[in-house]
Amino acid sequence: MVGIGLGLLAFWLALPPLAARTVLWPILVGILAAAAGIWTVSRGERRIGWGALAAAALGIGGGILATRSSLGNLDTVVVWSTLLGATLRFATPLTFAAIGGMFSERSGVVNIGLEGMMLMGAFFALWGAERSGSWAIGLLVAMAAGGGLALVHAFFAIHLRADQIVGGTAINFLALGITGYLFIDIYGTERGTPQGIPAIPDVRLSFLDDVYFLGPVFGQLNLMIWLSFVVLVVSYVVMFRTPIGLRIRSVGEHPRAADTVGISVYRIRYASVVLSGVLAALGGAYISIGFVGSFAENMTAGRGFIALAALIFGGWRPFGAFAAALLFGFSSALAQRLPVYSESGALLFQSLPYVLTLIAVAGVIGRSIPPAAIGRPYRKQ
Amino acid sequence: MSEPERPQEGDAEQAPGSQVPAERTGGDYAPSVAERLALFQRAGGIATPLLTAAFAFFVGGLVVLVTTGKNPLRTYQAIFDGSGLNWLFPWITSEERTLAAFNLQYTLLLTTPLILTGLAVAFAFRCGMFNIGGQGQYTVGAVVAVWVGSSFAGMAGVAHALLAIVLAVLAGALWAGIAGLLKATVGAHEVISTIMLNWIALWVGSFLFTLGGPLQDSDQPGVPVSGSVQEGAKLLVFWGEPELQGLHIGLFVAIGALVAFWVMLNRTTLGYEVRAVGFNPEAARYGGISVARNYFLAMAISGAFAGLAASLDVLGWQFRISETDVQISQIGFIGIAVALLGRNTAVGIGFAALLFGSLLNGASTRNLDPEIFKPELAGNLTLLIQGLIVLFVGADVLVLYLWQLRRRVKLRVARAGT
Amino acid sequence: MDERPVLELRGITKRFPGVVANDGVSLDLRRGEVHALLGENGAGKSTLMNVLYGLYHPDEGEIRLAGEPVRIGSPKEAIERGIGMVHQHFMLIPVMSVAENIVLASEPRHAGLLLDYDAARERVRELSRTFRFAVDPDERIENITVGQQQRVEIMKALYRNADILILDEPTAVLTPQEASELFAILATLKDEGMSIIFISHKLNEVLEIADRISVLRRGRLVETVPREGATEESLARSMVGREVLLRVEKRLASPGEPLLELEGLHVLDDRGLAAVRDVSLTVRAGEIVGLAGVDANGQSELIDAVCGLRSVHGGVVRVAGRAVTGANARTMLDIGVGHIPEDRQRRGLVLDFSLAENIALHDYAKAPDSRFGWLFPSRLLARARRLLREYDVRGGGPQTRASALSGGNQQKVVIAREVDRNPRVLLAAQPTRGLDVGAIEFVHRRLVEERDEGRAILLVSLELEEVLSLSDRILVIYEGRIVGEFTPAASEEELGIAMTGGGRREEVAA
Repeated sequence: MVGIGLGLLAFWLALPPLAARTVLWPILVGILAAAAGIWTVSRGERRIGWGALAAAALGIGGGILATRSSLGNLDTVVVWSTLLGATLRFATPLTFAAIGGMFSERSGVVNIGLEGMMLMGAFFALWGAERSGSWAIGLLVAMAAGGGLALVHAFFAIHLRADQIVGGTAINFLALGITGYLFIDIYGTERGTPQGIPAIPDVRLSFLDDVYFLGPVFGQLNLMIWLSFVVLVVSYVVMFRTPIGLRIRSVGEHPRAADTVGISVYRIRYASVVLSGVLAALGGAYISIGFVGSFAENMTAGRGFIALAALIFGGWRPFGAFAAALLFGFSSALAQRLPVYSESGALLFQSLPYVLTLIAVAGVIGRSIPPAAIGRPYRKQ
Repeated sequence: MSEPERPQEGDAEQAPGSQVPAERTGGDYAPSVAERLALFQRAGGIATPLLTAAFAFFVGGLVVLVTTGKNPLRTYQAIFDGSGLNWLFPWITSEERTLAAFNLQYTLLLTTPLILTGLAVAFAFRCGMFNIGGQGQYTVGAVVAVWVGSSFAGMAGVAHALLAIVLAVLAGALWAGIAGLLKATVGAHEVISTIMLNWIALWVGSFLFTLGGPLQDSDQPGVPVSGSVQEGAKLLVFWGEPELQGLHIGLFVAIGALVAFWVMLNRTTLGYEVRAVGFNPEAARYGGISVARNYFLAMAISGAFAGLAASLDVLGWQFRISETDVQISQIGFIGIAVALLGRNTAVGIGFAALLFGSLLNGASTRNLDPEIFKPELAGNLTLLIQGLIVLFVGADVLVLYLWQLRRRVKLRVARAGT
Repeated sequence: MDERPVLELRGITKRFPGVVANDGVSLDLRRGEVHALLGENGAGKSTLMNVLYGLYHPDEGEIRLAGEPVRIGSPKEAIERGIGMVHQHFMLIPVMSVAENIVLASEPRHAGLLLDYDAARERVRELSRTFRFAVDPDERIENITVGQQQRVEIMKALYRNADILILDEPTAVLTPQEASELFAILATLKDEGMSIIFISHKLNEVLEIADRISVLRRGRLVETVPREGATEESLARSMVGREVLLRVEKRLASPGEPLLELEGLHVLDDRGLAAVRDVSLTVRAGEIVGLAGVDANGQSELIDAVCGLRSVHGGVVRVAGRAVTGANARTMLDIGVGHIPEDRQRRGLVLDFSLAENIALHDYAKAPDSRFGWLFPSRLLARARRLLREYDVRGGGPQTRASALSGGNQQKVVIAREVDRNPRVLLAAQPTRGLDVGAIEFVHRRLVEERDEGRAILLVSLELEEVLSLSDRILVIYEGRIVGEFTPAASEEELGIAMTGGGRREEVAA
């Protein structure tokens, strides 16, 4: 409800007589509306939530249209499609990592090491691709590296029953150290990464070329973006439509109950944590060899934490997390474009995902309820 | 790993009610962080942190050897010399001593905030909470300190500095207090909320100092940096050249904070409450202590330490903050490693901060001889060592296990006696 | 009825460090019978069933299924051999649907990979129809009643084709109506050829449902008797046993003015269900009132509500004539309510604190322990030193951590702290739980001394002997209600029947 109201407010702000001078306000309010929408949808109140989302889109769209109406229509469409394309590019690494985090946390293991696992993916994808001359091998190496680091986390969290948050913090430090060290050791400080590292190709859909709006958005997207859609759907099916998913969820909710019907709690948790590392690493790999084409120290720059935020905001559900990732991606995409209007405002925008998540955990609109056994080591009887 | 059963839990038909939450999640008793740490202290004393650190350095040395083929001992020695700790050795030449003094000043400059961000993590720990938000609290404190320090041109020096420090401390306390309040009122997990607050602080801070930001220096319109702290508000430098980042009196403030930390925990009713809640919230409640109030207070005090760290840095030697400073600062995060390695005790934190301060400075570009080891590599080696330390400190289970074994044997003896 | 046993336990012995939980227990289960396992708390019933369900491994003895010796190493193996267990604390996942809970780990699939939800639902409906369970497969566990949850647990066993069903204290969490519904279901299951082990300590229901009854006491099998011919009195006698009573020397009480008064008290438990219903009682200065009852009949909630640790849902609490309903723990402490909690490790002590700090737990914020927020450790130590001597606490000094002490000495520390505050009302909840004989004597003697000092003492205990030997008056609590008042001259059998809901019908009729 709040969402619908905010969405309409966003639209109204942009229209005369208020006719907000900058596009900032309708967008900001619109994003809040969308957030409220995602929030409601992932809490089960689907109809109201979707209504809020629609109102938000209308609000943002209307806002931008209204403020830019002096320019040509074509121009606006181009802006729109670029913006959406950018949203997808920013959202993809978040999607991979958030869905990875979902597997780990749904099985009861807190994973604040997502950031580190992404960073591992980013570096090792580049290194693998550079050494082998093939981006595909780069991806495989990244997955192995992310999975390997996740295995360390799993071992400490599950077998040694170490504090999972301390462990995750350590994982992040380790990943920073490992990738930074190897990067400098292998590529040096002056040269940086060599040119011409095989990049993950874009998928060109030529039949969309002339389609209005869809063409510019979907006509040429990176393979990894399409892969993220696949991962999204598959992970939804696995988590909610297969026996394996049921078992993962049962282990995260009530491990003893799962144990009494013969499920191996340890095995499920190990597999889930390692999978989360593999997926997070794919997200990192997209950043380095899909998007940027090089590596820099600490290049994930907190995206793992945004993914964590998306996961929590999306209520530990794949589509919820994806919607949150899109929203956060959208705000990043805007932040990139906003300097046209206000240099500093763009930076303020970057904090939006975190503010929203803070509000979410504070339970203003209804609590985000984590799996019941999250963070608790399991001890067999 | 199958644990031997404990009959009290397995056999007795327990009353439902108080046990329900634990039962729902499998009947496991997950000890709080503070409890685990208490166990660690008893079971290992000073030996465990030393072993942990030694092991981390050993692994780091292996990495050096394997990847570069260089002698890890020489590398470590170079880092040691770079930290200026060789100043303590009586046998070095006077020329070396000048350099060492210079290096040591800088090491202690870094140690000062590390002590305080370590305390920021440790104080919350003692109340059973994990404050990952030291970085955010530091940033907020820094923003306030630089804002106050660069404004109020006409103010008297000491009052000006004091005002900046007090307001920065309050800002840090407030920022952490948000997380404490959320935990106390709606039970939001402090780890999630402090992580979020970190990033909010980072972006808001960047916004303030970026080009066109509200606190950006109007005298240098092209540089994303804050205005400079007024001359009068700068802290006194007591060792070394004020222009060359000599050591300011903030070090004594930090040492004072260590004492205050100890006194607060062990000599005040507040500390008594904080520790009781940290060890056993249920018993604390039974004792008439408000658990929620202590969650809030402990977080706020933690944040105050971080804010203090930031104000000393700003007024002591940084004097201005750039957008990049806000984004790359790691002082708050390293505080986690400091607190963990220092076992959340005042003395331990002091030494751990000195260790990390030395590592940071010794491995920095300006101090490490590239002939011996690339400083950029060494910087990352530091991170690696830091990660290993945190990882192994977190894995107290071996110690925990041994401790339980001891208790079980004791129980057996006690039972046999009846 | 096929007389050949489907299950035999032969000479099962299970030891835990320092305790023999099961000592050579043998019993058998016939096809299509309900076999009740009766015993007090800690008699070894649950241990025995955990051995059968593969959670514990017996140190001696063997298990035979249909005449064949088997080794059951894990719950999974128990399930595969047709043994199903309904745990006292349900092993259900609250946020999942009934169907999901039932099929977990043996899910029907289609296309080999996907979970066939339709088949799962259908199977649940089928079971529900056959046994008249009336449970909706799509409802979430957290949204159905406790009685329905229990049926889901039974369906879990049926779904896995169990032919032996173990129910651990199944009525402990049920309302009387739900309990009679459960009995109807069990009768149906019995007719279908299911063999049922029914663990309980309630005499009346055991007599209502069981075909044969085995009584356990202190880990040993006392007897196995058919229901015919068994009476509440005979069962109570073999359950409690004839042990030498720990008699306490005490004078006749001379009760003074009422210090603790409860009127129509209502309290909810953690799940929001009524735990204490309309309880009124009075404890006067200089008397010990014993509250007898089987575990989990509202005693803990009652005590918590009186000392401000749990909110009062209705009714009035008066201490020394002053209404203090709903006051917080601090206030209750300050007006003179002392509390020896039932779990000294979880609540009574901060195990990582020193003894001196533990002794200061209620008064650390007052003079002389502290002034203006400044703590004086030397004064804490001095007081601790005095109390440890006075109460003969051994195994450590004021600086020793509480966790290093034995249970008896820990309890002495708790009692020292509570009594030294000179409370008007002292709540003693299971004050001798887990203590050895010497420590029990000490606690008993001390409680009587405090009575003679003029305190009002409310004693909650699961041990009948203790209640009988200490109390001046005895109230029996059953399902949150006071169901009877007795004098210490009452026999254990009389009390035992009231505690297990047995005497209630007559009382209502009278």
